[in-house]
Amino acid sequence: MLLEVRDLQVEFRTRDGVVKAVNGVSYGVDAGETLAVLGESGSGKSVTAQAVMGILDMPPGRITGGEILFQGRDLLKLREDERRRLRGAEMAMIFQDALSSLNPVLTVGDQLGEMFVVHRGMSRKDARAKAVELMDRVRIPAAKERVKQYPHQFSGGMRQRIMIAMALALEPALIIADEPTTALDVTVQAQVMDLLAELRREYRMGLVLITHDLGVVADVADRIAVMYAGRIVESAPVHDIYKAPAHPYTKGLLESIPRLDHKGRELYAIKGLPPNLMNIPRGCAFHPRCPLAQDLCRTDVPPLYEVTGTDTTRHSACHFWRECLHG
Amino acid sequence: MAEAILEVSGLVKHYPLTRGILFRKQIGAVRAVDGVDFTLHRGETLGIVGESGCGKSTVAKMLVNLERPTAGSIRYKGEDITRLSGRALKAVRRNIQMVFQDPYTSLNPRMTVGDIIGEPYDIHPEVAPKGDRRRRVRELLDVVGLNPEHINRYPHQFSGGQRQRIGIARGLALRPEVIVADEPVSALDVSVQAQVVNLMDRLQNEFDLSYVFIAHDLSVVRHISDRVGVMYLGRIVEIGRDAEIYDHPTHPYTQALLSAVPVPDPEARDRRERVILTGDVPSPTNAPSGCRFRTRCWKAEDRCAREVPPLAVPSRLRTPSGPEAHDSACHFAAVAAVAGHSNGPG
Repeated sequence: MLLEVRDLQVEFRTRDGVVKAVNGVSYGVDAGETLAVLGESGSGKSVTAQAVMGILDMPPGRITGGEILFQGRDLLKLREDERRRLRGAEMAMIFQDALSSLNPVLTVGDQLGEMFVVHRGMSRKDARAKAVELMDRVRIPAAKERVKQYPHQFSGGMRQRIMIAMALALEPALIIADEPTTALDVTVQAQVMDLLAELRREYRMGLVLITHDLGVVADVADRIAVMYAGRIVESAPVHDIYKAPAHPYTKGLLESIPRLDHKGRELYAIKGLPPNLMNIPRGCAFHPRCPLAQDLCRTDVPPLYEVTGTDTTRHSACHFWRECLHG
Repeated sequence: MAEAILEVSGLVKHYPLTRGILFRKQIGAVRAVDGVDFTLHRGETLGIVGESGCGKSTVAKMLVNLERPTAGSIRYKGEDITRLSGRALKAVRRNIQMVFQDPYTSLNPRMTVGDIIGEPYDIHPEVAPKGDRRRRVRELLDVVGLNPEHINRYPHQFSGGQRQRIGIARGLALRPEVIVADEPVSALDVSVQAQVVNLMDRLQNEFDLSYVFIAHDLSVVRHISDRVGVMYLGRIVEIGRDAEIYDHPTHPYTQALLSAVPVPDPEARDRRERVILTGDVPSPTNAPSGCRFRTRCWKAEDRCAREVPPLAVPSRLRTPSGPEAHDSACHFAAVAAVAGHSNGPG
């Protein structure tokens, strides 16, 4: 395993109370593998990623438990300067909003080159040459001229390519992409996702793709982990989960999306609202919205059961995963 | 087909670009909308899709008279509303209401939900007598699936989906005939999005509403629309019934757009044939001559740079009159299999 998150717990202390954002998340990614972490707003998918990268705002954030093993080492036991050396060189992150993640007063060449100056001790001139090479790599036309331009002079899709170039610069082993195409138009999204998939194959990187879009997941992921209220509720190879979900939440999500290829009459809607993280329901956090909920669900937190009877490794945090799978 | 309730023809909106402070002179224009025609019939939903900058929101603003068109007309039941003012304009506005995209910024945080939904009655007092307004607001809350007891709460006490319901209730307050909804569900999570889409569906039947539904999400638009128009750089490039557009698109841009949508089915991953467009959408200040899509089109020839293709049924597709015979603004319009589609051979 390239990255293994074990029983991670993160909370935020706010004026109004303690927000339990991540409540025992475990997932793993191998080299060359794409793991999609799927969830709605507030499910804890981004907070988990920020904890892995070591860019969580602390305070108010606090990691209260768990381990993050990267190439066998527990990141949470490293000193800050050791983690800084890993960031960018061994693991990199791509953010949703490229415009606010890039520095508006530096040229893109300076920002790309900075990676080489800081981590590799290159001269500015060599770093500039590397920046042009990278921009070519992510297929930005006229890279030689555009390297001198500022972020606002690029379109949304081009800016996201610059973010990808920056993440790739030092050929890290792991890339975490947090909603990398959510802000982009659909034709540009297709370009960017294709590029990301191609580069991942070429460099044999592990990719954690954080998204809320079930379409994007189906297109690129190998495995998928579905999050709800700060926990993984289901994890499985991507083909299995679309064919037969083993958790009622996953099932509800799949049924609630309108389809491009056929027209239904009414959409299935999961009733109710996602829980308030300051006051997560007892037992299974999903029980107030679940059509399968029984008394057991209101009292006992379901462990991540192994889903048996399939050829692949699957897990579901539902007491009644059998009923869900076959029902 | 039902009677036409809105007829839009030759609609244009240019925003001037000026230079200089004392002696301002116009140096160009952002051609946000540049010749749009469509008709909305009673009780139907017309979906308008397109990528950012295609002018779909500007069209929405002109429909509800928040922007005045540079040229063209919008006829509401036969009367051109673009030149109205004063009392006549007010009367028309009552019948064409808008639901906005962002439920966080389109509600005044200092007003209670009751005041927000009831505010239209201050402007149109003839709709509801003063003593009756609270009751009507409670009724509206109930209609959109919110608790009428929450009439004195403030917007921040509601979730995103609930706020969008408040925006819809406000849009319904005056009992309009037409609702223009600009990206009404794109800020919402998937599970909540389905609730709001279903609500809009139900309200349409209940109140006999006609919708102009603007969105960039092609799947949502297909679900809710009877007819769909596809916009590119200020123009409609293709328009027709939902199955005509989604299963038998003839314009290359529509074909590319549809093929780019990720389908939530991993089995389709390898079977799909995708048209990946190169480059970005050109700037609306400097749109290409002839067909605006030609700079990104794989079918483009010299003719496309010279002649603007009209939005009409292409003559080649006219016989036999099948689903591919619908308005498409392309010199070389043809049916192509859009992969990832139940009907396509892909």
